[in-house]
Amino acid sequence: MPGPLTVIVRGKHKLARGVESENGKVGIRLPDYEFVQKLVGKFGKPITATSANASYKKRPYQVSDILDNLSQKQKDLIDLVVDAGKLPTRDPSTVIDTTLDEPMTLRQGEIKLSDKNEVLSRSEENTQNIAKEIWQHFESYLGKRSIVFALQGEMGTGKTQFTKGLARAMGITELVTSPTFAIENEYETGGNKLYHFDAWRLENSEELNALGFQKLVLQKSVISVEWAEKVADVIRGFDDEAIIIWIKIKFGVSESDRIISWGNL
Amino acid sequence: MKILAIDTSCDETSAALTDGTKILSNIIWSQSSAHAKFGGVMPSLAQRMHEERIDWVIDRAIKNSKCTVGDLDAIAVTTGPGLSIALGVGIDRAKKLAIKHNKKLIAINHLEGHMLSCLAGPNSESLELKINNLQFPALGLVVSGGNTLLVKINKIGSYEILAQTTDDALGEALDKGARMLGLGYPGGAVLEKVARGGDIKTYTLPVPIAGQEKRQMFTYSGLKTAFSRLVKSEEPLTKVKIQNLAACFQDVAFTHLVRVLRYYIIHNSSFVIHNLLVGGGVSANIEIRKRLRKLCSQYSINVLFPKSKKLYGDNAAMIGIAAYFKAQRNEYINPNLIDRKPGAKIFD
Repeated sequence: MPGPLTVIVRGKHKLARGVESENGKVGIRLPDYEFVQKLVGKFGKPITATSANASYKKRPYQVSDILDNLSQKQKDLIDLVVDAGKLPTRDPSTVIDTTLDEPMTLRQGEIKLSDKNEVLSRSEENTQNIAKEIWQHFESYLGKRSIVFALQGEMGTGKTQFTKGLARAMGITELVTSPTFAIENEYETGGNKLYHFDAWRLENSEELNALGFQKLVLQKSVISVEWAEKVADVIRGFDDEAIIIWIKIKFGVSESDRIISWGNL
Repeated sequence: MKILAIDTSCDETSAALTDGTKILSNIIWSQSSAHAKFGGVMPSLAQRMHEERIDWVIDRAIKNSKCTVGDLDAIAVTTGPGLSIALGVGIDRAKKLAIKHNKKLIAINHLEGHMLSCLAGPNSESLELKINNLQFPALGLVVSGGNTLLVKINKIGSYEILAQTTDDALGEALDKGARMLGLGYPGGAVLEKVARGGDIKTYTLPVPIAGQEKRQMFTYSGLKTAFSRLVKSEEPLTKVKIQNLAACFQDVAFTHLVRVLRYYIIHNSSFVIHNLLVGGGVSANIEIRKRLRKLCSQYSINVLFPKSKKLYGDNAAMIGIAAYFKAQRNEYINPNLIDRKPGAKIFD
């Protein structure tokens, strides 16, 4: 620090009420940004900041991105807006929780705890939001290459939850359900199309192409494949045509915890 | 009105001849034994097997009905929801037959077929009477491997979804639970048998969205996760443990279904519920039928289940029944415009 890193620590309960989270945690950020540093220096104390990144909304890079997503009532609560113009498109800060047995990444930005992308999800909602973050990282390939999310993880880890988040981030409003029975679901609302496969009931990886996977890749489609390990060879065969993001979801320590890691190798 | 109906939506190749709500024949060729080897369904295998069997199944259905193609008033076929390439086999056959013999063609939603399967029977007159006595709006429930759906039936042909699954279907959840216990595929039926020897009080599993039934949805993802953890903590599994685990899983899965249904019955103020129509493979489960009957008797609701075992799972006779009502409304389709709708909703 300073840099794009937020560290979550256990608070000492000396802050104003409502600054610490309900379980007594507080996130500290030291931005590498002169204006904010000078502001804090002049004030002589830390300042609190809310997240500008609303769930399932476009990641904001200019003031209008934020204002567009606020109600009039919310806007009326704002006293002053300092407009620094359009910001360069960078990832949001990495968020690391240090209050657990070992430090865990809650949001993956430029700074990484280890050499792989790995975050902790604490709920189904959280998993959906992580999917959104990962989607925003690769969304620029939309229309240029096929984007394939190859999901791996035991039963009940939340592969369908991840796809729900993906769909929501893509602007799809249809209900996303498990494709285990139908093997393939298609969603098409809000201008984007998502193909949702489940390889669990497939025994032979070639079956995936019989279902039209190859055609979809060549059409530069966005595809999510659950139980991707069962058809890994077929998916890997499209390394040139598609951006393939391998997502691994594992159970964490507590019942609702999941460890989600990803890479596009 | 004589209708030849065809269904190839998933694992079963089926053709039936119906006359009104009376079933003249209902031939089902199940592929599940072929798929069992693979522990799932192989889509191209399913397609090939439908291709191989479909003509034989249609011939058989016509023969057993003691009718001829000339007697037919219409041909009906499932267009969705289902496995796309499997649906294509039935649609293709129905279309060719309709053109060749100059018959009217009817496109049927598989879910509507399940919903109306309880109206089918061998004896036409008493059933006609029963149907005439049905009071609409009514409630409809489809519980199968691909769907868990509660609908308001305004009248036959007009449906509104009241609650549906947000993740796994009930039958799918039961199959997955069975798989976690190593009971094979398709697991739902095996799970039911094994559960009979178990004690539901052995373990506590969380009832999905307990207390929040007003969200009007079915969800099995949380239960699945909790069950997977429970199964792991109980390893190594013994026969007794498997029986108890199966009993607890099935109990909680059904409790959730009944709680959502009860919530709707209690809080519904838009119409008086006189009838509940139930269909789908999971309704073959004796325990769920028992619980639905109990629930309905508490609220003086008449509950209707399919009359024979063949009508619970996928079959073409239910497609013929749904087609009969559609024909009465003159809802035919141009054979050149019929197409598969793998993701169709009940109102599509």
